Amino acid sequence: MSNSVLNRGVRRETHSPRTVAAVAVLVVLAAAAVFVGIEIVRWLTGLGPLLVTPGDGLNALAQLPDAEPQGAVVAGGAIAALLGLVLVWLAIGPGRRPRHALSGHPIAVVCDNGVLASAIAEQLRRSLDLAPGAVVVGVGSRSIDVTVRPAPGQNIEKDRVRALAAEEIDRYELSPGVKVHARIAKPADEEGRDR
Amino acid sequence: MNATHRGVNRTVLLVVGVVLIAGGAVAAAAALVPDIASVWRSATESSVRWMRDAATASRLTEATPVSWFAIAVLAALLAIVVVAVIIVARLGGGRSSTVLREEARDGAQGAVTIGHGFAADALTGALANRSEILSSRVAARKVRGVDVLHVKVTPRQRTSPRDVAELVGQLADNLAVLTGRETPMLLSIRSGIRSRVAASESRVR
Repeated sequence: MSNSVLNRGVRRETHSPRTVAAVAVLVVLAAAAVFVGIEIVRWLTGLGPLLVTPGDGLNALAQLPDAEPQGAVVAGGAIAALLGLVLVWLAIGPGRRPRHALSGHPIAVVCDNGVLASAIAEQLRRSLDLAPGAVVVGVGSRSIDVTVRPAPGQNIEKDRVRALAAEEIDRYELSPGVKVHARIAKPADEEGRDR
Repeated sequence: MNATHRGVNRTVLLVVGVVLIAGGAVAAAAALVPDIASVWRSATESSVRWMRDAATASRLTEATPVSWFAIAVLAALLAIVVVAVIIVARLGGGRSSTVLREEARDGAQGAVTIGHGFAADALTGALANRSEILSSRVAARKVRGVDVLHVKVTPRQRTSPRDVAELVGQLADNLAVLTGRETPMLLSIRSGIRSRVAASESRVR
C-alpha cells in the first residue's frame, strides 16, 4: 500500500485548501485591475472618466495625509491592515478542519468530529447505563469534553467517566491526539428538569 | 480532496495580505503623524512626476496621449487579470476515471482498464444494504500519479466510526480479490444534515 500517497490524501482531507478565500481575493484583484485599465483606456481615447481620471487618482493618493476627514483615512487604513492580517493568518495558519484521522485500519480513515462525538457518547451511555441524551460529548481538534448527567440517585465519579472516555478514544487511535475533559452535571429530577 | 495547488492559494493570500497590511498601516500613520505625512507626500509626488515624465517622453507621436508607458501599465494590469484567471481555472481537478490499469503484456492479452464506475458501483451497492450507512459516494482521484479510491460515507448517528472503517476495509479487500490488485483507499466518514435528520439506529435488533 502506497503510504505516502494515502498520508497526503489524509492531510488534504484534514486541512482546508483555502480555495474560497483565494478565489475571493483573486476576483477582487482582477476586478480592480480591469477597472484601472478601463479608466486608463478612457483617458487615452479622450472619453470622460467613469469615476476618476488616472492623473486625478494619483494626485488624490499623494494628498491622502491631508484628506478630510482625517478619521476616515485612519479608519480606512486600519481596516485595510486588519483585512491584511486576516489574509496573512489564513495564509500561514494551519487551517485544520474539524476532522481526525483514525489509524489501525488497512485503509486510510478520516472522520468528522461530529461522528466521533456521537459514537463516543453512545459508547459511554451504554457503559454507564444511562438514558439517551444523558451524555453529551464535544470533540475539538485537541480535546474532548464529556458531560454526564446522572439519573436521580445515581452516583458517577468523574475519574471513571474520564477513564472510560479515554479507553474508548484510545481504540480509535486518533491523530492529532486528544485530551479528555470530564464534567458531571447535576442530576435531573423525575420530570427531566434541572433541580 | 482534489488536486488544487494549496501552496498557490496560500501564496496569493500571503502576498495580498502583506500588501494590505503595509498600505493600510502606512496610510493610517501618514494621516496621524506629520513626519510620515511629509515623507508620504514627497515620495508619492516624486513618483507621480516620474510617471508623467515617462508618459510624456515615451509618446508614440506628438499628437496623442498614448505612450509606451501607458501601454506597459495596461500590459501589467492585463497580466494580473490573466494570472488570476489562470489560478482560478486550475482549481480543483485531479479526478480520475480509472481505478487501475494493467498494461498490455506479451501474447494475446491487451491492456486492461478497470473504470471508476465499476468500483463505485461495487462499493456503493455493497454499502446500500447496510442499515447504519445512510449514503455513500465513491470518487477515483489521482494523487501524485497514483489512482486512489476516495470513499465518502455518511453513517447514522451513534454508529462507531471503527465499525464503518472495518466494513469499508473488508469491501476494499473484496475489491482487491475481484480486481487482483490492491487499490489505495481513503475513507471519509462524514456527519451531515442527513445523519442529523435520520433516526439513530433502532434499539430493537
